[in-house]
Amino acid sequence: MAFRLSPLALLLLVSCATPSSAPSRGGATEGKPAPVARMDGEQDGKLRIIAFGAHPDDCEWAEGGVGAKWAALGHHVKFVSCTNGDIGHWGMAGGPLAKRRAAEIKKCGEILGTEALALDIHDGELMVTMENRRTICRLIREWKADLVISHRPNDYHPDHRYVGVLVMDAAYMVTVPFFCPDTPHLTKNPVFLFSEDEFRRPNPFTPDIAVSVDDVIEKKLAAMEALESQFYEGGCNGGPHLVPDPKDPAAVAARKKQVRGEFEEYFSGPTTRHRGALGKYYGAEAAGKVRFAEAFEICEYGRRPTPEEILKLFPFFPAK
Amino acid sequence: MASEKLRVIVFGAHPDDCEYVAAGTGAKWAAKGHAVKFVALTNGDVGHFAMAGGPLARRRAKELAACGKILGLTSVSLDNHDGELMPTLENRKTVVRLIRDWRADIVISHRPNDYHPDHRYTGVLVQDAAYMVTVPFFCSDTPHLAANPLFLYCDDKFQKPAPFSPDIAVAIDDVVEKKLDCFEALESQFYEGGCNATADLVPSDAAGKAARRKQVRDRMRGEFARGERFRKALEKRYGKKAAKVEYAEAFEVCEYGRQPSAEELDKLFPL
Amino acid sequence: MSRIAWSLGLWMALAGCATSTGDVSPMKAPLPAPAQLPQDGKLRIIAFGAHPDDCELREGGAAVKWAALGHHVKFVSCTNGDIGHWNMAGGPLAMRRAAEVKQTSKLLGISHEVLDIHDGELMVTMENRRTICRLIREWKADLVISHRPNDYHPDHRYVGVLVMDAAYMVTVPFFCPDTPYLTKNPVFLFSEDAFQRPNPFTPDIAVAIDDVIEKKLAAVEALHSQFFEGGANGHAGLVPDPNDAEKVAARKKVVRENFSKRFAATATKHRAALEAYYGKDEAAKVGFAEAFEICEYGRRPAPDEIRKLFPFYTK
Repeated sequence: MAFRLSPLALLLLVSCATPSSAPSRGGATEGKPAPVARMDGEQDGKLRIIAFGAHPDDCEWAEGGVGAKWAALGHHVKFVSCTNGDIGHWGMAGGPLAKRRAAEIKKCGEILGTEALALDIHDGELMVTMENRRTICRLIREWKADLVISHRPNDYHPDHRYVGVLVMDAAYMVTVPFFCPDTPHLTKNPVFLFSEDEFRRPNPFTPDIAVSVDDVIEKKLAAMEALESQFYEGGCNGGPHLVPDPKDPAAVAARKKQVRGEFEEYFSGPTTRHRGALGKYYGAEAAGKVRFAEAFEICEYGRRPTPEEILKLFPFFPAK
Repeated sequence: MASEKLRVIVFGAHPDDCEYVAAGTGAKWAAKGHAVKFVALTNGDVGHFAMAGGPLARRRAKELAACGKILGLTSVSLDNHDGELMPTLENRKTVVRLIRDWRADIVISHRPNDYHPDHRYTGVLVQDAAYMVTVPFFCSDTPHLAANPLFLYCDDKFQKPAPFSPDIAVAIDDVVEKKLDCFEALESQFYEGGCNATADLVPSDAAGKAARRKQVRDRMRGEFARGERFRKALEKRYGKKAAKVEYAEAFEVCEYGRQPSAEELDKLFPL
Repeated sequence: MSRIAWSLGLWMALAGCATSTGDVSPMKAPLPAPAQLPQDGKLRIIAFGAHPDDCELREGGAAVKWAALGHHVKFVSCTNGDIGHWNMAGGPLAMRRAAEVKQTSKLLGISHEVLDIHDGELMVTMENRRTICRLIREWKADLVISHRPNDYHPDHRYVGVLVMDAAYMVTVPFFCPDTPYLTKNPVFLFSEDAFQRPNPFTPDIAVAIDDVIEKKLAAVEALHSQFFEGGANGHAGLVPDPNDAEKVAARKKVVRENFSKRFAATATKHRAALEAYYGKDEAAKVGFAEAFEICEYGRRPAPDEIRKLFPFYTK
């Protein structure tokens, strides 16, 4: 039985953020809101992207590819899991699982070149509250995000839906100086995007942007392998039958191969579904050769990027 | 029904939303002797780049009072913090009581799709009050309405999950100057720029200030010039005259209130 | 608490967590148990309505048909309906409506439950999500029915949201670990409504209820406070003198006719869906129907599974 850590202590423990990105509170002087955040890549000319997933694996799964692509070009990417994933396994739960999953996403971050953070909110219990809205607002502001990615509010998992709602509720509000006045506001509403889902009601996902991740697929697959509790071990719907004897290298290798194979198939889905969107950005011929892709929808509540701005935010497409 | 006095209540999120979406129609109703009330569910107290809290709430309440005078209606705000409106049971009861106390025939509000969470949750709260206003033992301290009012959404540009559908459009050319006067009175929001502005937006000299006022008025004039956007709905109502309409407001019938026939809807709205 | 007592408590807690080998590593702790499904070969259906009458109106017909074949059906009213009358309210009305659905459940041949949540006050909370999750699991449901989240009544909408929030979560072992989890996400369906925004109801499944319409109408009659007496929007003028047999019969007839019309309208509106299951000729003869939409958050049934869940079709 572990000591009960205070929520703050646990948050710091699971936070994989480097010290340099720690928040600076108390910047507000009497009567004035905190100083305006420096925008649009600070002094280093790099993009700043923050993604919110529900569980410690959602961001890696949905935008791990573009995350690695941005990171490879020196852009700053942060993946936030809005819950700690502490019921996401068939045999482990609570604090021990939360810690394990925090370690997994830290490892993913190392593989992809991104930062990882898990909030200390129980898996399966994310609600739309003012407190959660403020948390998300502060995270977006502290990251000085140009671009925010999250779930759509239609999805089979309530945590996914409520991340979508909470991030939408933070859109625009991040620019309001006296909302969470302790954290410098953004002068520009970031561009907000939704990651892909398969749900059609009340309306289907629209692939406004599609990106080939062929050049980073090995990293993405390595990240899926690092998310051992979720995929290799099967997560909350798995069971002991899925997990081979760790002392049997052949069985372990076979299981890893199986998981990898499943992901290769899964990550090639967007390519087939969104050949048209890929064609828009890569040209039809190149689009035809893409194997693995990620797709995104522009959220109406963020800043609407012009076509030129999309190309700046996604500096991956060939010049036309 | 059209010859009787109508009682209309509009719920916006902030002290300027009702004016933005319905000042023209509201003024026309008021001019015909109908009872119109604008209610902002929040007090707008984070809606400025330099002022906030109580002092801003009071300032914005005064701005609403000025708008009310210009339009010939009542315009007030509730003491809920701006940016913090949640669809709670308590807020639902507040909205129910306001609709009942006003004995509203018509209720107008935001759709639950909009960039601003306060707009969305205002929309949700008003939806949650629809029908419940007729249930005697819900908020049994306030006499229930015998009939579910007509509930309408004001227009917005959002497409997802579904776009706004203009079931009724109102030409407001004859009152647009009054609407623009309101936006001059909503000084903290437009002249001074609201929460996303900076101090250098307002010049210090008299000529500069006058120029700024004109700039704001011209900008708002452009925003209210929705004749083109609602041309089809205007043609349905005004026939050939619709071609000349420059300024318009439009509304969509909410499925959770009374469902009027197209003719009835047409008669309820001022021409 | 004294130091000794604290240490003792800690030691006892540790001992309690240990397996018989004294090992307290998480991987060795007992696994949560999946729900043990009964082996009687019968379906298990649970429906959630907002008020004590919603399930009866929307899926009462299908319920009778399932029950007649020995399948297990449960109707849950997520509120107690305690403001649902123009003259009575609170506890007395809740008790009255509880008695009404006890009666209708007898008529339909099903189980039922009424939650003690105030009518008009159902909110989307974690507590309510857990309640619904536990109910679905305890019933070991194959099929869950509820409202769509578009509807004129906030209670209907929030039942829809809460049931969607329980979908999938019922399969997560450590969510509400006190209640054995389901190994398969049930199929989730929405009952019919007429709302168009943001998107209209889609009749994925339609069921002819001509053979059981008398029982459904008898259930409507038993919901006396709601229909005969008019419910929340009723008034004294609706209710005849109970001693005037003629007037009482006339009123009952009006209620019956209104509902017959309503249940017949489903058949007309969703003729195409009926044809898909009954064939054109038989569908044309259907007088009364109920319709359902498949919720994307539950298990997606293949066409043959739909026929297993709805063992009513001849085609």
